[in-house]
Amino acid sequence: MTSQTHPAGDAPHAAYDGYDNLLIFRLEGEAFAVSVKGVHEILDPQSPTIVPNAPRHSPGLINVRGVVVPVFDIRHRLGMGAGTKQATSRMIVFEHEIDGEAGRLAFSADSVEEVHEADLAGLEPIPELGAIWPQACLEGAIRRNGELVVLLNTDVLFSPQGDGDATQTKGA
Amino acid sequence: MEQAVAAFVQEARDLLGGLEDQILELEGGSTPAQIDEVFRTLHTVKGSGAMFGYTDLARFTHCFENAFELVRAGTLAVGPDLIELSLAARDLMVEFLDIGGDGPSSAALLASDRAVGLMGKIDQITGAGATTAASGGAAPTAAKTAIGGPDRRFEIFFRPDIGALRNGMRPELLTRELTSLGMARVTFDVSTVPPLSRLDPGAAHLGWHVSLTSDCGRAAIDDVFIFADEAELTIDEQDIEMAESADTADGAAVETASVSGDSPRKQGGGGAQGNGRASESIRVASSRMDAMMDSLGELVIAQARLDAVSESIGDTTLATVVEEVQRLVTGLRDATLSIRLLPIETVFSKFKRVVRDLAKELGKDVQLLAEGGETEVDKTVIDRIGDPLAHLVRNAIDHGLETSEVRVAAGKSPRGTVRMSARQEGSEVLISVEDNGRGLDREAIRARAIEKGLVDPTADLSENDLYNLIFQPGFSTAVTISSVSGRGVGMDAVRSMIDALGGGVDVVSRPGLGSRITLRLPVTMAIIEGLRVRLGESIYVIPLSTVEECVEISAADMQNGSGRMVLQIRDQMVPYLALDEIFGQPNAGEDIRRIVIVRINGNQIGLVVDDIIGQGQTVIKSLSSYHRDIPGLGGATILGDGRVALILDVATLVRLAKMRGGASLNKAA
Repeated sequence: MTSQTHPAGDAPHAAYDGYDNLLIFRLEGEAFAVSVKGVHEILDPQSPTIVPNAPRHSPGLINVRGVVVPVFDIRHRLGMGAGTKQATSRMIVFEHEIDGEAGRLAFSADSVEEVHEADLAGLEPIPELGAIWPQACLEGAIRRNGELVVLLNTDVLFSPQGDGDATQTKGA
Repeated sequence: MEQAVAAFVQEARDLLGGLEDQILELEGGSTPAQIDEVFRTLHTVKGSGAMFGYTDLARFTHCFENAFELVRAGTLAVGPDLIELSLAARDLMVEFLDIGGDGPSSAALLASDRAVGLMGKIDQITGAGATTAASGGAAPTAAKTAIGGPDRRFEIFFRPDIGALRNGMRPELLTRELTSLGMARVTFDVSTVPPLSRLDPGAAHLGWHVSLTSDCGRAAIDDVFIFADEAELTIDEQDIEMAESADTADGAAVETASVSGDSPRKQGGGGAQGNGRASESIRVASSRMDAMMDSLGELVIAQARLDAVSESIGDTTLATVVEEVQRLVTGLRDATLSIRLLPIETVFSKFKRVVRDLAKELGKDVQLLAEGGETEVDKTVIDRIGDPLAHLVRNAIDHGLETSEVRVAAGKSPRGTVRMSARQEGSEVLISVEDNGRGLDREAIRARAIEKGLVDPTADLSENDLYNLIFQPGFSTAVTISSVSGRGVGMDAVRSMIDALGGGVDVVSRPGLGSRITLRLPVTMAIIEGLRVRLGESIYVIPLSTVEECVEISAADMQNGSGRMVLQIRDQMVPYLALDEIFGQPNAGEDIRRIVIVRINGNQIGLVVDDIIGQGQTVIKSLSSYHRDIPGLGGATILGDGRVALILDVATLVRLAKMRGGASLNKAA
């Protein structure tokens, strides 16, 4: 879990000083990554139970082996439009602390590619204007086969608050 | 050994918890049995404390043990001073336990002003008790002198049980304690030590001969071995001085010896009983209980799925097996849930002290009555009910009960009563806190509510509505606020905690006669009976305990255009909420819809749904913090087909309905 490897500091890169296994998945053709340590399992898409009056970033619930798991709308948090279900779509069940409580959440990806071992010393900052995604959700970028992979800061990404960031950046 | 220490800490906590009650009981007069009990508790804490690396605790406990030894011997009377000191000392002993064994902070506590002050005061008392022993020596010797006679010789042989060392027994501490009693010569008995090849280093092979010359009396020696139940032990007592004058004292000493000579045996019997009980009841870490509950919950869900599958296949052989499994699961569920039930006595007993201290602080004469302590409640309730009850008890004493003078002037008995009671009613447990004080001041509540803009000055409020105002956040009738309890915050907190537990609060009050506040709580928290309803495509579960009845309503009736969201049921007008509107979810657009009438906190409302599907066991899963604060939702559950369904929180829905009702009233006005 990323929250273990770096304690949500101001200098996230400093804490990444070694190799880590990353799960690489795609949204809108872009490659994103989270540390594989937090990944609990990968499921075929499920239709969630809609929670009425829920915040937009977590609209529903699914049943993962008898555990009720909230579905997190990562696309909304990253300022992307609603996606369509594709044949390659998967749900990633991720172990994450929400407000200090250990728990799981699930988010959709257009496709899941591989687990990739990356040297996090080579993490590059993403220039402020280089991306439409809210800066706080991003840890940095690594290169894989000549392509940029965006490593996500799951602490910020999955935080129950902070929807403001997403809309702000979208507006800018 | 670590386990043994943990067991000691747990045992000591239990003992100190009990000690509080024991000491409080002494207030109303004491019997020798009660004194013995206090003494034995103190002695156990001291003895095991020293054995398990809590020597500072043992040292501190020592002087109180002494005091009660004097009481036991009849040389010291139980007075309010001693009770006061003992209670304070008990609290400090708990702190010693919290610190977790000997170390700098434990030593600091022992040397702290509080500890030293308490020990000084108790020494004064014991010194005063043993006036004849006006020696400058330490209190222990004074105590010993007080009950002891002339020097006597004791030939003691002691061989611990072979497994005693593994149980954490430390014989050297026993011999050290013996040598501290007087002149002692200690020799080993090595006759039972096996040859090296068969020597088990963890077993106790040695025996001890101790020749002790002391004036301490037989009882003191018996006390040293109070925990060595299973050891081989002989104590021979020989007089070395046969002074004439000692005869009477001697007789007394023998008598005490024989009396307390019994008590270790009784203690042993008690221990055996304790062991017997230990095999009947076991202490289980609550995390393991929770894990078991989780598995059980999943089993219940899986069983519901199996049911659904079996139904769709329609094979009778399969159906028979499924039915059998269902029966077993239900049995297992009931058994597991009953493990989680604890008598509420454990909570009630804590309040004896609270009431006593508070009454003292406020200068009121208060007696606490507790009834129905045997009523069993879910562990979660036990864990969380303490604070709300404390608020209610404080309120009752601070605001409810008058001072003795006022009471007498009003023609009441000078002593006020706070009554805590519990009883089960259906699937709910009712816990009440009742006082016979002045009752709630309706006019003050009304005035305050108007001032805060909570109610319209012209509004005609029912008694119930009026009392419910005291649960509003920040509400308090300013005059009655004191340092002890700010009712505003307190009652608000009580309400939200009870809501969180899925319960309700009722208030009854009669001016001049007192008030009663009743908390209604579900017996069990983990699995409830639920009514499954459909709204559009979604299934929701309504806790069956809140459901009163279900009625039909036609779509035309709902849209009669008057904006009236009220339904007439027999001679009652019941407001209703359209769940599809509140949840922003489309309904199925059917002509005939259903209204589920629910009641909570004495309020009745209807919930409009598309259809009623059925009822059944519902395992409550809590919502993550993404969804926890959404009004109207109390949790989630997994249905037989594996889908997730949301459980409605009727209490917040009712409040929502009231707010809307208020809003429409304002519009009308």
